[in-house]
Amino acid sequence: MTADPIADGKLARRGVPLIDGIEKVTGRARYTADLDHADALVGRILRSPVSHGDIIRLDVSKARALDGVVAVVTGEDCAHTYGVLPIAMNEYPLARGRVRYRGEPIAAVAAVDEETAERALALIELEIKELPAYYTSADARAPGAVLLHDDKPGNLERDVHHTFGDVAQGFAAADLVREQQFSCAEINHAQIEPHASLSEFDPATGRLTVQTVSQVGYYLHLMLAQCLELDSSRIRVIKPFIGGGFGARVEALNFEIVTALLAKAAQGKVMMQLTREETFITHRARPQTDIKLKLGMSKTGRLTACELQVVQRGGAYAGYGIITILYAGALLHGLYDIPAVKYDGYRVYANLPPCGAMRGHGGVDTRHAFECLVDRMARELGLDPFAVRRANLLQAPTRTLNDLVVNSYGLAECLDKVERASGWRQRLGKLPPGKGLGMACSHYVSGAAKPIHRTGEPHAVVYLKVDFDGSVTALTGAADIGQGSSTMVAIAVAETLDISLDRIRVIAADTAITPKDNGAYSSRITFMVGNAAIDAAKRLKAVLVTAAARKLEARPEDVECVGEVFRVGSGDQSSLSFADVVAEALVDEGAITIKGTFTCPPDFHGGKHRGGAVGSTMGFSYAAQVVEVSIDDATGLVTVDKVWVALDCGHAINPLAVEGQVEGSVWMGMGQALCEETRYLEGLPAHASFLEYRMPTIAESPPIEVQIVESHDPYGPFGAKEASEGALAGFPPALVNAIANALGIDLNELPVTPDRVMDALIARRRQARLASTLKAAS
Amino acid sequence: MNTLSEFRIAKPGTVQEAVAACAKHPGSRFIAGGTDLLVNMRRGISSPDLLVDISGIDELSEIKIDASGTTIGAGVTIATLVRNTAIAGQYRALAQAAVAIAGPGHRIMGTVGGNLCLDTRCIYYNQSEWWRSANAYCLKSRGDVCHVAPQGQRCHATFSGDLAPAFLALGAEIDIAGAQGNRRIPLSELYVEDGKAHLTLANGELVVAVHLPPAPPPSAYEKVRVRAAIDFPLAGVAVALAAAGGKVGALRIALTGTNSRPFVLAGTDAFSGRSNDEKLLQEIDRLVQKQVQPMRTTIASANYRRVAAAALARRLTARLFAESAG
Repeated sequence: MTADPIADGKLARRGVPLIDGIEKVTGRARYTADLDHADALVGRILRSPVSHGDIIRLDVSKARALDGVVAVVTGEDCAHTYGVLPIAMNEYPLARGRVRYRGEPIAAVAAVDEETAERALALIELEIKELPAYYTSADARAPGAVLLHDDKPGNLERDVHHTFGDVAQGFAAADLVREQQFSCAEINHAQIEPHASLSEFDPATGRLTVQTVSQVGYYLHLMLAQCLELDSSRIRVIKPFIGGGFGARVEALNFEIVTALLAKAAQGKVMMQLTREETFITHRARPQTDIKLKLGMSKTGRLTACELQVVQRGGAYAGYGIITILYAGALLHGLYDIPAVKYDGYRVYANLPPCGAMRGHGGVDTRHAFECLVDRMARELGLDPFAVRRANLLQAPTRTLNDLVVNSYGLAECLDKVERASGWRQRLGKLPPGKGLGMACSHYVSGAAKPIHRTGEPHAVVYLKVDFDGSVTALTGAADIGQGSSTMVAIAVAETLDISLDRIRVIAADTAITPKDNGAYSSRITFMVGNAAIDAAKRLKAVLVTAAARKLEARPEDVECVGEVFRVGSGDQSSLSFADVVAEALVDEGAITIKGTFTCPPDFHGGKHRGGAVGSTMGFSYAAQVVEVSIDDATGLVTVDKVWVALDCGHAINPLAVEGQVEGSVWMGMGQALCEETRYLEGLPAHASFLEYRMPTIAESPPIEVQIVESHDPYGPFGAKEASEGALAGFPPALVNAIANALGIDLNELPVTPDRVMDALIARRRQARLASTLKAAS
Repeated sequence: MNTLSEFRIAKPGTVQEAVAACAKHPGSRFIAGGTDLLVNMRRGISSPDLLVDISGIDELSEIKIDASGTTIGAGVTIATLVRNTAIAGQYRALAQAAVAIAGPGHRIMGTVGGNLCLDTRCIYYNQSEWWRSANAYCLKSRGDVCHVAPQGQRCHATFSGDLAPAFLALGAEIDIAGAQGNRRIPLSELYVEDGKAHLTLANGELVVAVHLPPAPPPSAYEKVRVRAAIDFPLAGVAVALAAAGGKVGALRIALTGTNSRPFVLAGTDAFSGRSNDEKLLQEIDRLVQKQVQPMRTTIASANYRRVAAAALARRLTARLFAESAG
C-alpha cells in the first residue's frame, strides 16, 4: 500500500516522548541481563588464543567431568554454518578444524555457577598448529598468502567493478582532476549494553525459547533452526529491552547460537553474559578502509567524473561483507548528479574479528573521502563549498546512473538552512586563528527495497487487534532498540484513526506473537513498518466506520470520525463514542484483528547489474551540516565547538524523536571522526574496554542545532523517510574540512586524534624549514 | 563482567591496625576507593585474598592548613580535594590535577593516597586474563618479556597519576606508616624508574599523608589526552614558578604519563635569574624532550607524548610568567 501524505498530523507536530521512555529512565525496563535467570546455568565461551591455525586436539573430557558442569559443546556439536546472506554463510558458531581470529569461539560450557564455568574452561585441553596470520588488507592479498577460506583466492571475499557513464570523457571534459588517498580506521558500535542471551530448552515439549539482544529476531530464529536442527515451529525468539544496536546485532551472532546449543545440550536454561571485551571481539562493525578517489570538476564546480577504489579489511568471515562493499560504491549515487562513475571495490579476509553493518552501513568512509576531495578541489578553483554542492544537485523524481530511484530530494533546503544558521557567509575566513568552519552533505536509504531473503512476502506486516475493552493493540515484529520504532507505530495508528495515543498498546518483536519482521536495520522500519501500520489502521477505520454507520443508520461515507467520536453531520444525537462503535463492531464478529502490509514494488529494486539491488530504496534521506572547530596547535587537540545540521526526513512523524536521532547520528559520526578506533596487537584487541575505545564523553559533546526539512516523499508513511542514519556520514568530512579551514592542513586519515594532527603539523613545519633553507641557498 | 576472585575484607579502625593487618598477611592489599585495584582484580591481574579497607579510618581523611603548611590525609577523596577552596587558592596545580582525574564517579571514590600509589599501566598489562595469557603474559606480571621493549631487561609500564607531578612541583613530602614505625620522605623518593616495582614502599607500608610547604609559588597543571574526561594523561605537566620582575626566581617542573615514575625535571635550577623569553622556553622544551622516556605503552605514539609534554611545559611556564607580570 501507499500512504497519502498528510499535511499536519495532530500528534506529530508536538512530538511525543518515546512510549517506553519512562520505563528506561526509571530503571524499570528489563534488559536481557536483568531477566530472571536465578535457575539458569551460567554459560562461558572458550576463545582462540591464536589468530590463525588448525585445531590439532580439543579435549573437553576433564571439563565435562568437573562437578557442577552440565554441558560442554564444541564444533562437533554443530556442523552447520550460519550467516546473514544466503550466499555467504561461512562461519561456524564454534570453530571446526580451523580458527581464523583471536577470540573466535571454540568451545562452551554450562555450569551451575560462574566459578565452576571458568574452572571448566581452564580444564579444556587445546592444541593448535599455527598458520601465518594477516592483519592488513595488503598482507592478506599478497601473493602466496595462506588462504583463510579455500574457495576465496587472494583472500578476496568479493570484488566489485561497476562503471556507469563515460568516465574517460568525463575526466577529459574536466578543468581540474585530482586524485587522493584516504584511510579510515576500523571502529565499533560500542553500544552501552554488553551482549547477553538467555536460552531455555524444554525437553518435555522440545521447544526452545530465546531472549536476546538481537535487532533481527527473525534472522536469528532461522539460524537457530538451522544450527540446532530444530523445526522452526519449535522456536520462539523474544526481544527484551535493548541497550543500543547501531548494527552490532543485525545478524545472528555466535554467542546467541552457542547459548542455545548449550541449553539444548543441558536440556535446560542457560544465561550467557559476555564481558565488554567479548562484546568488542564479537564486533561486526565498520571495517578499516583504504580509499583512492579521483574526481573531475569544471571551473564552475560541476562534477564531470568520479573514479573510486575501496579496499575493506573485512575480518575473518563473510557477515554482511558483500553488502558493505557494494554499498560503498552504490551510495556514491543518489546524493549528487555525477555524469560518470567507475567503482572498484575489494572486500578482503584478514585474521581479525569479522566486520559487519554499522550505522551508515558502507557509505560513510566513501562519503568522507568524497566530501573532503570536493572541498579541496573547490578551494583550488576558488569556489565556495556550498556553491560546489549546489552546482551538482539532483532533480527529483529521477533515476541515478545505477538505477536507484530518488523520489524526494530536500538537499537544497538543507544546504540553505545550515548555511544561514551557521552564519557561514559572514563568518567563513573571519574566525580567529586556530578556528575553522567546514561543511559536508550525506544521505542514506530508508530500507533496502529488495530484501535479503527473497520470500515473496510483503516487506512489512502489522496486526491491529481491537476487543471488548476498546483498546487498540498493534502487533509488530519490528525491534525497538532505542530508536523509537514502537512509538512510531503507535503514532502512525493514532494519527490514521484519529484516536488518543494512550488507547494504543504496542507489542513488538516476539516471534510467537508478532508477525514476522526482517528487523531493525538499514533504516527500514519507519518507511516499511510505518506504511504497514497505516495500512492496517485504514482498514480498521473502515471496519469501525461501517459499524458506526450501521448503528447510526447512515451511509458509511457520511460518517465522520474525529478524536474518537463518530458522527453524522454536527448533531450530538447522531454521535457515538469509540467504545460504542467498538461494541457495535464486535457484534456477530467478536474480537477484530486486522492486517496491514507494505511491499516495495519491483520498480524500486535497483539495477539489473550484479549487486544492483544494494542501495535500492524507495526514499533517500538527505543531510547537510556545518561543523565549527578549534585546534590547539601545541598539542594537536581538536575541539568541536558547534554543529548545525539539517535533515530531510520527508515528514517528521515524531519531531522529538527525529531530533534525537539526528543528534545521535551526528554524535556517532563525531566519534568516528575524532577519536574512535579499534587497534589490534598481533590480532589481540588493544581497544576492548571503554577506557581504550575512546568514545566521546559529554565533555566532547558540542551543541548540535538540528533543523528538520520535510520534502514529503510520495511513498513514505505520511511522506516520511528515514531519520537515524542520514546525518552521520557528513560529520567526519565536515570536521576534516573545518580543520583544513583553520590550519590549512589536509588530513587523510581518520580519526583525527591529536597525534595524527601533531604529525601533520610537524611535517608542515619541516617542509616550511626546508623551503626556507632552499630559498636561502638559491 | 569478569568474575572477582574470592577475598576477605578487614576493616581496621586505625592506621596502626591497618598496617599490622597488612604486615601479618603477605597476600593482602590496602583498598580505599578501589578505582584502580578492583579493575585489575576483575581482570585477574591481582588476586589478593585479604583486602584491608582503610576508607573508614578518620585520621586519613583530614586536611590541615596552618603556618607550617598543608597536610592532606591519604584517604581524602579526589572530590573533596577538588572542592577545597583554600587548596585551590594556594596550590592551583594540585586543584587542576585533581579535577582532571578520570570522571566524577571515580573522583568521589578515589583518594589522594590511591592516586599517588596508582599502579603503572601498559596496553600489554591492563588486559583480561584471556588476553594476557594469549600473549604469554609480560614482564610486569607472570611473564619474562616486556612486549614494549623485548630486548630490554626492565618493565616500561607507565605511571599515570595526575596528583604526583603537582605535589612534586610544589615540593611535597609524605608520611609513611609501617609495622617498623613511621617515616617522612620527599615525595620524589617514593618512586623509582621501574614499571614493575615503581614504589619504594616496603611490604605493608602505607602512605598516610602528604605535606605541602607554606607560601607556595604560583603553579599550574595540564595534561594531554584524547578525551577531556576519563582518560589517563598521555603526558601531564605541573609547573611551579616563583618569578620577579620578569625573571625566574625558582622554577620546578614535574611530569607524569611519560615514564614509569613521575619525576621532577632536572636542570631547571640553572634557569634562576633568566628572563622570560623564547630562548628559555626552547631550553625547557629541549630538557623535557631529553628527559622523558615515553615508550609504546599506550595506543598514542611515544613521540607524540614526548612532543606534547614539552609543549605543555613551555605553555605553562609562559602562562605563569604572564600571570606574574599581570
